[in-house]
Amino acid sequence: MESGSVAARLGGARWRLWALVPVIALVTAVSLFAAGGGSLLDLVGRSPPPVDELHVRRVEFHPGRIKVRVTNPQREEITIASVTVDDAVVPFELDGARTLGRLRSSTIVIPYDWVEDEPISVGVTSSTGIETVEEIAAAVETPQASARGFLGYAVIGLLVGVLPVALGLAWLPSLRRASPRWLGAFMALTAGLLTFLALEALSEALGLQAALPGGLGGVGLVLLGVASTYLLLTMFSRRSAGERGTVGGLALATLVAVGIGLHNLGEGLAIGTSFALGELALGSFFVVGFMVHNVTEGLGIAAPIADGGRASLGRLAALALIAGAPAIPGAWLGGFVTSDVLGVLFFAGAAGAALEVVVEVGRYVARHAPGGLGSSHVLGGYLAGIAVMYLTGLLV
Amino acid sequence: MSNSKVTRRQLLAGAAPVVAAGPLCTLAASPLLASDREATHLGHDHALAGHAAMIGETVPAPGEAHDLDQLLFPPQALPHDPGRVREYTLTAYDKQIEVARGVTFNAWTYNGTVPGPIIRATEDDILRVNFTNGGSHPHTIHFHGIHPGDMDGVFEIVQPGDSFSYEFPARPYGMQLYHCHATPLKKHIHKGLYGAFIIDPKEPRPPARELVMVMNGYDTDGDGENNFYTVNGRAFYYAKYPIKVKKGELVRIYLANLTEFDLINSLHLHGEFFRYYRTGSTDHFEYTDTVVQAQGERGILEIEFHNTGVFMFHAHQSEFAELGWMGFFDVR
Repeated sequence: MESGSVAARLGGARWRLWALVPVIALVTAVSLFAAGGGSLLDLVGRSPPPVDELHVRRVEFHPGRIKVRVTNPQREEITIASVTVDDAVVPFELDGARTLGRLRSSTIVIPYDWVEDEPISVGVTSSTGIETVEEIAAAVETPQASARGFLGYAVIGLLVGVLPVALGLAWLPSLRRASPRWLGAFMALTAGLLTFLALEALSEALGLQAALPGGLGGVGLVLLGVASTYLLLTMFSRRSAGERGTVGGLALATLVAVGIGLHNLGEGLAIGTSFALGELALGSFFVVGFMVHNVTEGLGIAAPIADGGRASLGRLAALALIAGAPAIPGAWLGGFVTSDVLGVLFFAGAAGAALEVVVEVGRYVARHAPGGLGSSHVLGGYLAGIAVMYLTGLLV
Repeated sequence: MSNSKVTRRQLLAGAAPVVAAGPLCTLAASPLLASDREATHLGHDHALAGHAAMIGETVPAPGEAHDLDQLLFPPQALPHDPGRVREYTLTAYDKQIEVARGVTFNAWTYNGTVPGPIIRATEDDILRVNFTNGGSHPHTIHFHGIHPGDMDGVFEIVQPGDSFSYEFPARPYGMQLYHCHATPLKKHIHKGLYGAFIIDPKEPRPPARELVMVMNGYDTDGDGENNFYTVNGRAFYYAKYPIKVKKGELVRIYLANLTEFDLINSLHLHGEFFRYYRTGSTDHFEYTDTVVQAQGERGILEIEFHNTGVFMFHAHQSEFAELGWMGFFDVR
């Protein structure tokens, strides 16, 4: 018996080893192709020349100086030959290599007295003469990673993230006194506004990835972001689900807060980036608009707690932080780092999270609200959620 | 991300010694270009601002000094001798050339340069141009001037590998030009198939320091707009290697505009006026410091510098100037 099981184990190991065979065969085939690849290309004709397009990742404005961070997104090498500012050839220095391999980056430093608040364009011409031009809406001095800058972005994040969510949560006592019918309506409203946020984030992610060079972008990146957070939240909600298989009360409120928090991370990133790139004027109207827009997010978190959940003041504060505070690191990242790839992932992640929470809220409403999903209160609440987000969004 | 932070810190340290140069947008020559300083000394000072940064060793111009001498200095004018045969051999071929520092352009050339070689004849010479097409596309040579219809380079398309001899009496005198007239015309011209064609008058022009300047542009990324502008084919070349002339000597410039895509080009000379003979075919001139030429237009400039020093010349379209069409006279 024992020798039999050893044999079986050995047999099992053999078949596990067999899994390596396709890998080894693939490596062999790839090396053979790479070795004789040229002749195959001859058979099907010549391949076109590379497009030689650089990816301008970041343009920074410093007193008397412009810094341009570029990455080579393509397989073939690119050599930086000439740099223009507003269609004029300018002297420049390179921090990094002149010839860039795939996904390699260099920073171009241009001594230049740029004009504050005016549009400006930077062009980088490769040795084959292909010019990549980056238009900047307004030249604004790039914030340095200073304590003041950090504080500034933190204040912005607090104002547009934490404060409105906390204000929205203050509706909780009133919600507790609402009839079950109306509570269902408010839950549906939560789902409606989260659907709106998901769609908004998804469209933002798709837009950002479309602007990325082919080598870095792709809808796959968006799907990766959406799927990761969706599945992560599904896992959490399954673990905290009650005996009836639905998440409710504080757990559901936490899920909603996480979904909104991820969205606010992306929102903070967008705000920080826009400020850093001079695309956005920091007006009081802008901040007020975001505050009104985000107050409804607090309402969304309050609704599940109102339906039989209990929460201490500390818990509520924690929920406000979960939902609102990510706007602060988002603004930091956007203001000081700016990465379009990160932006795509953040927004896609926010979309996935929001969608998952919509599903959870939907499940909850279907089981707990009087009349289920088909009731007029629920349908009206859902549509009202979308309408409220749309209308307050007009303020931004 | 931590990686990029490190580079930024390194960059800050590395960039600290860089002295900020001024903007390139003012076209007035900097007072730093004092008239008694030598051009060769100017380039060594990295702290120079504005256009001063575009002179000497720091200028991003391709090539070495004297590279373009064949295109700048025309062959000697010969005395009037009706019926004398002037023979030139031109071969068209594809060649990758460096048009701005580090930037190559897949050009179509006559004899390997853009612009092509200078063709010169005296009025009533028999001009014979033996043309061979060694390129990858059909080409011709179309001369400006007076000649028979079958020597016009429009209908006599020369296929790759074929040859054709153009033969006609050279007239009228003036600054002419030649270019390929195969279709698509725009492509064949902007790829580089053109050059200067000087016909000297019966009565020789007064002796002078003679220069040829062909203004052109290069659309290196094929978007129908020029990325660089030059005289004689290389961006900023005469900013790096100023043209040396003597104070008081007669300087004669044969100027032609073969810029494609842009309707006009121009030449503006600093600190001096000149006589401008449109097409160079009459004695009429204008006394000015700026001339504008449409595509295919040309003329002759005669200058006597009143002062020594470094004098800029450039297209007065600021954009062209800052994309390579600028240079200096070093007047001793």
